[in-house]
This record gives sequence, structure tokens and C-alpha cells, in this order.
Amino acid sequence: MSALLSISDLHLGFKGLSGINNVLHGISLNIAQGERVALVGESGSGKSVTARIVLGLLQETRSARISGAVKFDGNDISAMNPKARAALRGTDMSMIFQDPTSSLNPAFTIGRQFTEVLRRRDPSMGADACQERATKMLGEVSILDPNRVLNAYAFQLSGGMNQRVMIAMALANRPKLLLADEPGTALDVSVQAQTLTLMRNLVADHGTAVLFISHNLGVVREFADRVYVIYRGNIVEDGPTQALFSDPRHAYTRALMSAVPRITGAGLPEVPEVSEDFFAPQISHGGVA
Amino acid sequence: MSPVLRLLLRRLGISLIVLIGVSMLIFTIARVIPGDPARIALGPNATPEQVANLRAEMHLDEPLVLQYGHFLADVSRGDLGTSLYTNRPVTLDIAQFLPATLELVLIAGIIMVALGLPLGILAARYRGRWPDHLIRIFSLLTVSAPSFVWAVILMLLFAFYLPIFPIAGRISDIYDIDRHTGFLLIDTLLAGNIAAFGDAIRHLILPAVALALSGIGQAARLTRANMVETYDKPYIEMAQAYGFFPSRIARIYAFKPSLIPSLTIIGLDFAAMLGNAFLVEAVFAWPGLSRYGVAVILRKDLNAIMGTVLIIALTFLIVNVIVDLLIAFLNPRIRHSTRAT
Repeated sequence: MSALLSISDLHLGFKGLSGINNVLHGISLNIAQGERVALVGESGSGKSVTARIVLGLLQETRSARISGAVKFDGNDISAMNPKARAALRGTDMSMIFQDPTSSLNPAFTIGRQFTEVLRRRDPSMGADACQERATKMLGEVSILDPNRVLNAYAFQLSGGMNQRVMIAMALANRPKLLLADEPGTALDVSVQAQTLTLMRNLVADHGTAVLFISHNLGVVREFADRVYVIYRGNIVEDGPTQALFSDPRHAYTRALMSAVPRITGAGLPEVPEVSEDFFAPQISHGGVA
Repeated sequence: MSPVLRLLLRRLGISLIVLIGVSMLIFTIARVIPGDPARIALGPNATPEQVANLRAEMHLDEPLVLQYGHFLADVSRGDLGTSLYTNRPVTLDIAQFLPATLELVLIAGIIMVALGLPLGILAARYRGRWPDHLIRIFSLLTVSAPSFVWAVILMLLFAFYLPIFPIAGRISDIYDIDRHTGFLLIDTLLAGNIAAFGDAIRHLILPAVALALSGIGQAARLTRANMVETYDKPYIEMAQAYGFFPSRIARIYAFKPSLIPSLTIIGLDFAAMLGNAFLVEAVFAWPGLSRYGVAVILRKDLNAIMGTVLIIALTFLIVNVIVDLLIAFLNPRIRHSTRAT
């Protein structure tokens, strides 16, 4: 099986007033066709910027210094011009964000936004065809009254409803890769779990590969085939979800796992902010496509 | 009842109250300031009997409240009284002078919106880069001087040193156009006289630009500020993540949510042009309501003062109601709310 996305030795720095501030120190990551891969780490570890480099958004930031290869579907994204990168977004790649309600434009109806998204793939698509396709997609995310939703604005719908709309939009153009940046973190836990199950089933049906970015190990365990653990811009451990969860070997991975709150037990353990052990070399459990 | 209809009725009700308040205020002020209108109207050679007769005819010897009652009764019949200055009904005078002012203000308003908003969009789209810097300098410059200063500067530059545009007036004397509406741009077209239409436009450009200039700067600054804030919102990143062109994101996804807060201020600017127009009209010898207004105030021509102020207040209120409706139309939160706003 060939890799859909392959990142090798990716470095990222931001030019600031006092020289370059390095954020990613040569990370490597692979995702096979249809594979669900999680990138786990704490805030500021470099998860979100990785997704934005894959999308080609960060390349347009003037202060960003990026090196290394990002290959998507056989083409090197870092070698493309901005137009070619933009052509991939919304068609072969799409993204789901943290807060669904504020990620939908408040000035346009859901239907209008859906139409615009569909026309990214096929600009000649007529209004009726768009409506029909949007209705079908909303049906796939178990929205029972698609017409009401299409005529509504995001502020008229619940967070969970908006999250379903986001998932439907993201998958509407049959992307090969879906980037999910802490999806539903802004929602309450039960709604988040519901929508994640929905998303998991849908991407499995469509054969869409997912790069799932999260700090929530419980969610990752449910969702991902394989996990990369990122710490301070370095991948410290990777492997199939089952192997990694049953035998976490890197000190940081173990610290991260012991930081998951449990209903029973004596509350959160003391986890060191920074430990020498966290800088140990990468541990791989294999299983890379 | 739909929220928009309710909003409209509310605004109209408030406007009526404001209008009555304005009329009371001006009615009192005009009568309290020193000088006897009857004496001024009749001139120094009139006998005391003549003056007393005129005072009685104008109800000036009655209590203020009764005078106001007479005034209200007349206004409700559409009668604003006779001007002592022109000796014609005030309604006729206003019908003659108001269209010139409205034409000037409307064109200036269109220029303000048509240039100010795109400049603001452009500045926000290229924020921090040279188009942004240029536009910000231009905006700062235009809002830094009042419109009559720009009127003088533009007149000197483009009518005197470089005689591209006519120096004053609404239309050249060689054209004799039938006045149907009083709006020359419409009347010339009704007459089918294209040359006269072009001439009227050439006369309009300098005063309208002078009047619009500070509004352009204001609208551009406001639009830029609101859009820069909008650019930080997650839905803009989402639009970028879906690969929409940056120009499309600026024009549609970032502009529309940003327009709503700008619109109120732009509406107020537009209405404020009515006041600024007085000075611009004076510079360009524009035969609008301003010269009439100044002349009647100096002569203490009570009926004409009341009429002029009421008409301007009314126009101001109408513009505000239109802006409120426009906002309600653009802002789905108002359009779909069940509460009154």
C-alpha cells in the first residue's frame, strides 16, 4: 500500500524579532490511503501547524520558514506554487476545525456555504444539483430535516448540528485526506462522542484517510488506526494504536497517558512539565505503511 | 408580524417623535432670539400700526403655546406658511431649492460608498503591505480636513489652475432645461438632451467629491478595521482551508460580516453630508437649500426657518430609517429574531 501523505524531515521556524523561532524539528509521518492516523501532543507541541503545512496555508505566511518534503498523492506540496496548493484544498483535502459554530460564516446560510464548497470541485454545478447533493450529504450525517438546516444560519443551530454540517461539508467533495484539528473540542463530551462516531463510520465508508489532531487520548484510542506522539516539535513515539496504548515506552507518552483524568482513582497524577526523559529518541512500534 | 415590519413601524414612530421635538425646539429658539420679525420684514420706514397689524396676522402677539398650535394645525394641512423673504409659500421655495441639495448629497453618498468600501476591502486584504499603507495615508488625509476646505482646494486645483471642471453653478447658461423634478440629471434626460446631461455631471463632480471625500476616508478606515478583525475569525480560516481565492474571501466571506457594523456609521456620515453640504454649496455657488437657509435665518423669516429645518430633519430621519432597514436586511440575526430590537 502506497502512502497518501508522506512527510519527511519537516522543519518549521517563524522569523521573529530575535531571529528564527523553531517550532518543528524534523518530523516524519506517513498516512496510507484510507488510514486514520492520530497526531497527539499537548498545546504548542506543533500539531496544528503540521496540519496547516499539509493544507498549504502556512506556506503563505511570510514569517514562516519551512523545509523538508511533504508529499501528497505523489506530488511534493512544498514545490507547488500557491495556486496549485489552493487547488488541492476543498477538493482532495479538507479540514474540520475545533469550534463548528464559529467556523461557519454568520452572514450566509448553511445552504449557500454548502453550494460554494460543492462548486470547488465542480464549478458548473447548478443550484438544484447542489441542493440535492447537500441534502444527501446531510442525510449521511443523520440530519433528519436537511431543508430546515440548509435554510438556517449557523447561529440558529446547535453546536452538535453545526458539527454534523461541518463533517458533511468536509466529505462532500470526496476528499482523499481529511484533516481534523481537535474536532468538537468546543462541544460537550457526549455530543463530541456522538459526532466522532458518526465521522469514524463515514470516513470508513468513503475510504477517506484522516489526520486526526488531538490531545485527548481517550478519543484517539477510539478513532485512530495508528498514533504519532509529538512533543516540542519532535515525534517521540509512533505505532499502531493498540500496541502503543498497551506498551507506551517513551517517557513523554507515559506521562501523557497518566494525565488522562479517570472517574476512579486519586485524581490527576503529578506530571512533570519538562523532563530530561522526554527528549529521548523516537520509539517506533512499526506498522508504517 | 415579521421582525422587519415591526422594526420599520418602531423606527417610524420614533422618527415622528423626534420630528415633533425638533419642531418645538426650533420654534422656541427662533422666537426667543432678539429681533422683531415683523419689523425686519417691513423695513425701517413702516409705521407702528403696520408692524402691529403684521404681528397680529402672524399670531406673534399670542402666547407661545398658542402660536405652536397654529403652526401644527397649518403643517398638518401641508401649509408651511409664507416666506417674508421671497413672499412665496415656503413649500414652493423648498420644492425649488431642495432637489439641488439632494442631488448633490445623493451623488456624494454614492461616491462615498462606491470608493470607500472597495478601498477598505483592498486595505484589509493587503493589510500590512503597501496598498494598505497608501490607503491608510489617503484616508487619514481626507478625514483630516472638513469638506469646505476640500471644496476650496479642489476648486483651485481642478477648476482654476487646471480648468478641467466648471468653477461654479449646476449647469451652463446655454442649456435651457424644463424643470420637472428639479433634479437636473433627471430633467436633462427627460428632455433627451445628452449634452446638457454631461454638462450637469461635469458641474456636479467637484462639489460632490469635496463633500464625499471625508466620508470616503471614514468608510475605508471603518471597513478596514472591521475586516481586519473578521480575518481573525475561524470561518475565514475555514474558507482558506477550502481553497477559495483570497480576493473572493475578501470580497464575500470577510466583507459581508464586516459590513454590518460599518453600515450604521456610513449611514450617519451620509446624513451628516446634508449639514456639510451647506458650506460646499456656498463655495461652489450651488443654488441649493443652503443659500436659502442662510438668507432666511439672517432675516429672521420664521416660517422659512421652520420649513427648512423640518425638511432637513425629515430627510435625516428618512436616511436613518433606510439604513436601519438595510442593516436588518443584511443581518440575519435581526431578520430572524423574534425579539424587537
